[in-house]
Amino acid sequence: MGFVDVSGVRHTLPDGRVLLDDVSFRVGEGARAALVGGNGAGKTTLLRIVAGDLAPEAGTVSRSGGLGVMRQFIGSVRDDTTVQRFLVDLAGPAVRAAWDAVEAAELTLMETDDEPAQLAYAAALAQWGDVGGYDAEVTWDTVTVAALGVPHDRCKYRELSTLSGGEQKRLALEALLRGPEQVLLLDEPDNYLDVPGKRWLEERLRETRKTVLFVSHDRELLSRVADRVVTVEGGTAWVHGGGFAGYPEARTARHERMAELRRRWDEEHQRLVDLVRTLQQQAANSPDMASRYRATQTRLARFEAEGPPPERPPQQEVTMRLRGGRTGVRAVVAEQLELSGLMRPFDLEVWYGDRVGVLGANGAGKSHFLRLLAGQDVAHTGSWRLGARVVPGFFAQTHAHPEWLDRTPVDLLWHGEPGRPGVDRGRAMAVLRRYGLTNVADQPFRTLSGGQQARLQVVMLELSGATLLLLDEPTDNLDVLSAEALEEALAAFDGTVLAVTHDRWFARSFDRFLVFGGDGRVYESAEPVFDEDRVARAR
Amino acid sequence: MTMTDDLAHDSAVELAVARLVDEFRPRVRPQVVGTVVRSCRRDLSGVPATALPELVERLARTRLETVG
Repeated sequence: MGFVDVSGVRHTLPDGRVLLDDVSFRVGEGARAALVGGNGAGKTTLLRIVAGDLAPEAGTVSRSGGLGVMRQFIGSVRDDTTVQRFLVDLAGPAVRAAWDAVEAAELTLMETDDEPAQLAYAAALAQWGDVGGYDAEVTWDTVTVAALGVPHDRCKYRELSTLSGGEQKRLALEALLRGPEQVLLLDEPDNYLDVPGKRWLEERLRETRKTVLFVSHDRELLSRVADRVVTVEGGTAWVHGGGFAGYPEARTARHERMAELRRRWDEEHQRLVDLVRTLQQQAANSPDMASRYRATQTRLARFEAEGPPPERPPQQEVTMRLRGGRTGVRAVVAEQLELSGLMRPFDLEVWYGDRVGVLGANGAGKSHFLRLLAGQDVAHTGSWRLGARVVPGFFAQTHAHPEWLDRTPVDLLWHGEPGRPGVDRGRAMAVLRRYGLTNVADQPFRTLSGGQQARLQVVMLELSGATLLLLDEPTDNLDVLSAEALEEALAAFDGTVLAVTHDRWFARSFDRFLVFGGDGRVYESAEPVFDEDRVARAR
Repeated sequence: MTMTDDLAHDSAVELAVARLVDEFRPRVRPQVVGTVVRSCRRDLSGVPATALPELVERLARTRLETVG
């Protein structure tokens, strides 16, 4: 069994800003701790410090039980890394070093087949056996069979880039959960996993006896897995000792307590300052008051030297205003609609004010359906129409806008686009302020975090005056707080919403569900359905 | 003595001796081949069993080529 003990850790950014200070927490044996915080709060930095990739400027990190790390980039590997190399890199340092030594010795032997090279190769193989390399190879076989359905020997030279994001994640998770390391650091392990994959992950994390520290933005996963929550905010970290269900209340209570302590300190400080001033005047006329004046001065100095209690962390200002507007009663009508080759024909009526969750298998045509309603050119048969005064606003997955990459938020808002008038810099800054985007207003879109990119898209929906919101995975890449702000904005939106989502927590806020089945059937459901099979297609 | 007996019955040794005796006849006497192979086997004592036959034979061949 293993543990992680972080004590008094401090980290300063290259520009001199203190990102983390006095961070202390412990993840005890067998605990499953979630690490949460806003985008840019320092979660990944803290995880890197715990992993030993970064040395803390002050403080210590103690660990026991061997460390397995899943980095955030897993799922988007596009280089020539092979399955074998990937598994070696996930193993402990001794196995990695022994593997590298065997590879180096093999290369030497291929070039110079002499006695020293042969003995060096033999020594490398002996070391491989000593560090448990042969056991690791047996584990890798189990791992590839579980994750990819083939033995290690048949896939070890396969490039990781030929696997889907979900397969890459699954491979890493199987390796870490089955490996000997007792402490796992998982940076967004659920990214790229579909809902059955997330459910599998939840079960595995709940049943493992290993100690787990993980970062996730998936509120369902957080609530099912975490038995404590470490929050990075305000430049430090604090721990909620319970599950995610009671976390929002605990966080609010903590913030209120901090604000109250600070308010009391400020009041007491002001009282002492005023008293010193009064006594100073009185001391000029009365020697008796002089000693009281000096005593109060000393008291004030001591009070100030102790310093104020920490400020309540700055609130992430996200105030989304999706106004919408009254439209015809029927917002969307489809009759015998079929997107070519993707599904069987279906009928649909969506009423003004409906909140429709669009769920179903990957590749079944959900995003295409939304794009069709947004007015884009999507091949189809059958008919569809929007109701009176229905203005569609489309929120695409963030990678779907290559033309935005080098433009700044202010520039994008200034120029506008068909259906969305441009606004001057003053109005643009005002609306960006409400979405917590002021500090990135003049940065290229490509440099914005996923959450910031998503919020900017909501800004554009607001400015377009849409009355029908078509949202394609809007909570992907949003941190927990931003996702909740989006939900609140949608709840207050005067209009109709259709949203494609795999976010189970988000889906609960919808009242109807349109399910795109893996067999081509499109049907309505009163309850969310997340276990439709992936569409099988000849590739 | 015990080690020599063990080595004499080591399949990695037996197979290598058989093949190398054929390969190096008549330049190297069978007794010399056996001695060299056993010496190689001892030098490779930490190597995992599955890799041993190949490594023993390869190392012995290298050494026999220098003496032969």
